[in-house]
Amino acid sequence: MTTYAEPSISTGALPARIPTKKGKLFVKWVTSTDHKTIGYMYLITSFAWFLIAGVLALMLRAELARPGLQFLSNEQYNQIFTMHGTIMLLMFATPLFAGFANVIMPLQIGAADVAFPRLNMLSYWLYLFGGTMAFCGFLAPGGAASFGWTAYAPLANSQYSPGIGGDLWVIGLALGGVGTILTGVNFITTIFTMRAPGMTMFRMSIFTWNVLLTSILVLLAFPPLAAAFLGLESDRLFGSHIFDPANGGAMLWQHLFWFFGHPEVYILALPFFGIATEILPVFSRKPIFGYKGLIAATIGIAALSVSVWAHHMFASGQVLLPFFSFMTFLIGVPTGVKFFNWIGTMWRGSVTFETPMLWVMGFLITFLFGGLTGIILASPPMDFAVSASYFVVAHFHYVLFGTVVFAMFAGFYFWWPKFTGHMLNERLGKIHFWTLFFGFHLTFLIQHWLGIKGMPRRYADYLATDGFTTMNTISTIGSFLLALSMIPFFINIWISRNSPKVTVDDPWGYGCSLEWATSCPPPRHNFLSIPRIRSERPAFDLHYPHMAHTDEGH
Amino acid sequence: MKLGWKLFLGLSIFYAIMTVIYYGVGGEAVGIACISLSSGLAALIAFYFWFSSKRTGGILPEDNLSGEIADGAGDLGFYSPHSWWPLPVALSAIAAGLGLLIGWWLTLIAVGALLISILGFVLEYEKPSVDVDAH
Amino acid sequence: MRMNRGLTTALLATAGVATLSSCSSSNISGLGYEKGLSSVNDVSLSLWQGAWITAGVVGVVTAILILWPAVFHRKKSEEFPKQTRYNVPTEVAYTVIPFIIVAVLFAYTARDESRITKVTPIAQAKHSITVNAIQWSWQFTYDDAHAGNKGTITGTPAHPPTLVLPQGEKVRFTLTSTDVVHGFWIPAFMIQMQNLPHVENHLEFSANKLGTYPGRCNILCGRNHSQMLFTVKVVTPAQYQDYLNTLKAA
Repeated sequence: MTTYAEPSISTGALPARIPTKKGKLFVKWVTSTDHKTIGYMYLITSFAWFLIAGVLALMLRAELARPGLQFLSNEQYNQIFTMHGTIMLLMFATPLFAGFANVIMPLQIGAADVAFPRLNMLSYWLYLFGGTMAFCGFLAPGGAASFGWTAYAPLANSQYSPGIGGDLWVIGLALGGVGTILTGVNFITTIFTMRAPGMTMFRMSIFTWNVLLTSILVLLAFPPLAAAFLGLESDRLFGSHIFDPANGGAMLWQHLFWFFGHPEVYILALPFFGIATEILPVFSRKPIFGYKGLIAATIGIAALSVSVWAHHMFASGQVLLPFFSFMTFLIGVPTGVKFFNWIGTMWRGSVTFETPMLWVMGFLITFLFGGLTGIILASPPMDFAVSASYFVVAHFHYVLFGTVVFAMFAGFYFWWPKFTGHMLNERLGKIHFWTLFFGFHLTFLIQHWLGIKGMPRRYADYLATDGFTTMNTISTIGSFLLALSMIPFFINIWISRNSPKVTVDDPWGYGCSLEWATSCPPPRHNFLSIPRIRSERPAFDLHYPHMAHTDEGH
Repeated sequence: MKLGWKLFLGLSIFYAIMTVIYYGVGGEAVGIACISLSSGLAALIAFYFWFSSKRTGGILPEDNLSGEIADGAGDLGFYSPHSWWPLPVALSAIAAGLGLLIGWWLTLIAVGALLISILGFVLEYEKPSVDVDAH
Repeated sequence: MRMNRGLTTALLATAGVATLSSCSSSNISGLGYEKGLSSVNDVSLSLWQGAWITAGVVGVVTAILILWPAVFHRKKSEEFPKQTRYNVPTEVAYTVIPFIIVAVLFAYTARDESRITKVTPIAQAKHSITVNAIQWSWQFTYDDAHAGNKGTITGTPAHPPTLVLPQGEKVRFTLTSTDVVHGFWIPAFMIQMQNLPHVENHLEFSANKLGTYPGRCNILCGRNHSQMLFTVKVVTPAQYQDYLNTLKAA
């Protein structure tokens, strides 16, 4: 006998817009304990920071287009790239993970919310206020922090970087980091304790698995960062000597920072790998290829990521080169394996290229290139040639932008109907993608060559005789094209408000995970009814019962 | 839950082995400390999951390959409908941080506010446990 | 089809632009670095070339694999494709092959890095120079001049110093700093190392071709980081001795 749950009631029965006064809406959001609302707040805030940091990047690129300092001083330039990096990594990309995970993960496991809804909101506030605090350094008399997002000791101490801009940066980020740690706790607890019946660990979506492993990395990486920040602030405010170079402080800082810094890049990468992994099966009409292998690879990455940090320190002359280069090469293997899982998902599928899929292709091509330059950098002899040059800048923009930004837009276009009940326009989406793709590669591809030719990173200026001018000018043109590519996206968001309401649970047709088995948008506690779960594609099994695959269970 | 403690135990053992290897190849104090503490953290979580899974016993509906949605029917637990308390907790924490820069008076006030907000947050849904009018 | 052509054109165009705009006198086969410039180049260049060829092959093969379904496995009908979930031999292959590739790269890496980082003991070093990095320039002390303070030349951002090196002879460098962390980088020689305060780093190499080469600080060190330049001037051993003598005499 089959027990069956009817598909959820679509929103057709409810009014299209619920009339509220703006004040009531504000209070509703500010006191919200709904993971979806909190997730939207994270997504909106992180995207706003992305735009702000993007404007900072345009200022950097505008200054670098020609030799000579045109409109920024050395000190201002240092502040701008410090805040550009800080915002992009800690106020855009990391909270973006919290945003997507908050909205999607509970839906995917069939939960009614996260384990600690109010703690969830607390994390958001700590992020918002902490990040704002760090940014307020620009309002300080001495300006914002200017010692790079890496804040090396002793440059970042009060002797070499006086002024409260630096203090606001350290304290703001430390508090924001606490928020991130609490989010990690929340997500791990939710995933282990709030899954729907039949949603075994090996039937969870890959996105949810990646959220789990990312949260574990958060627990491992952010406490050392917080400790380092407390030590740094103690040195700055109270005159302690924790990072005094005479006590080996220079290396102490580098070790502590990068012990955080390397898992941080996996914290940034894994959730977005997860988004790509959600989209590929839907638009290939095939299940994810090698599901268990993918999970094994991701666990491998989580394990190894605590043993590679000093590949950021090869040039320090003070770390074990063979150990760290071996571990770094090793961690490249599971990352590479994932590529073949993704290819295998598309292989002999029935592939279509709606906008989300286009973004995933952009991610695959871009991250492939960035990953390969990473293998080059994993080798100390080659790292000695190009470390701390524009080669590294190019590498990390390829891997980070390639993963986070491409997968972010993929996720936006894919889940927009789920968030809002409206589809984004396909044509504008394609214009957005191609403009951004061209703009990104025009900006960053040439920077590999710039680094090989000898331009250091974090340089405000260069000489006309250096031979860097043409490459920099091209890169700057690319950056402005990249910026312009946001315009079709804004137009798209605006006009989608009036596009027809989505009346089905799954407008894409072949959605796999549980969020596609509830309405667009979902009700307050996510599900009016949940379908039976017998595989990692419960929504697909629900909509195509003749194609349903069950693993064991009946 | 079984996978829970196994995952964390596996990570903990891996990190412990990595600590030994790093020490053996001549690693340095920071790395040894950080990796071994990571192992400790994973072990702590593994123990808690193991302990909890022993307490709950049996197979939970979510770990049941043949689990039916109806198995999870009934009261899903209490979900706070909305709350003001996270905001003052965060604001007090931020103010305490700012107080390090602005002045001790602010830190003191903010720490007080933080304690009150945390109490408010934690006790928000507590009901009195004893009927005070009983006797 | 349209999408694939667009993508290919895009990639070719960007690659073309990138290559054309950076055409310079660099040695193409060195992929940006010149053979024989320094003892480091002699060690690193073959690894650099080999690694790029490997990366190129892996990249092209993987890119083809990514784009193949985009072109050839497009939706043709409403029929579902075969719902393959796994294929153990394939999965084993694509785990083992990358592992072998990185193992080979690591083997060459381990060999080369030990050659680059080897330093002769101070007593046996023929030439020794101490590089002290300061905010915001460089102090080069030619230890073999035995000239005390006169053996030190200090630069400024306005007047970057010149590091004079004897052609073909190994020089042992001691790198340190009296303030913050700096980075001693000679791009053409494929070598760099950090100048850490209260730490002495050691580096040894020989510059093998006469000429002048730029040197730069590449670890952020404060306001004038961008102006912390130096010039490496490789001269004959005889000219190097003359230079040391002029320092002593000055």
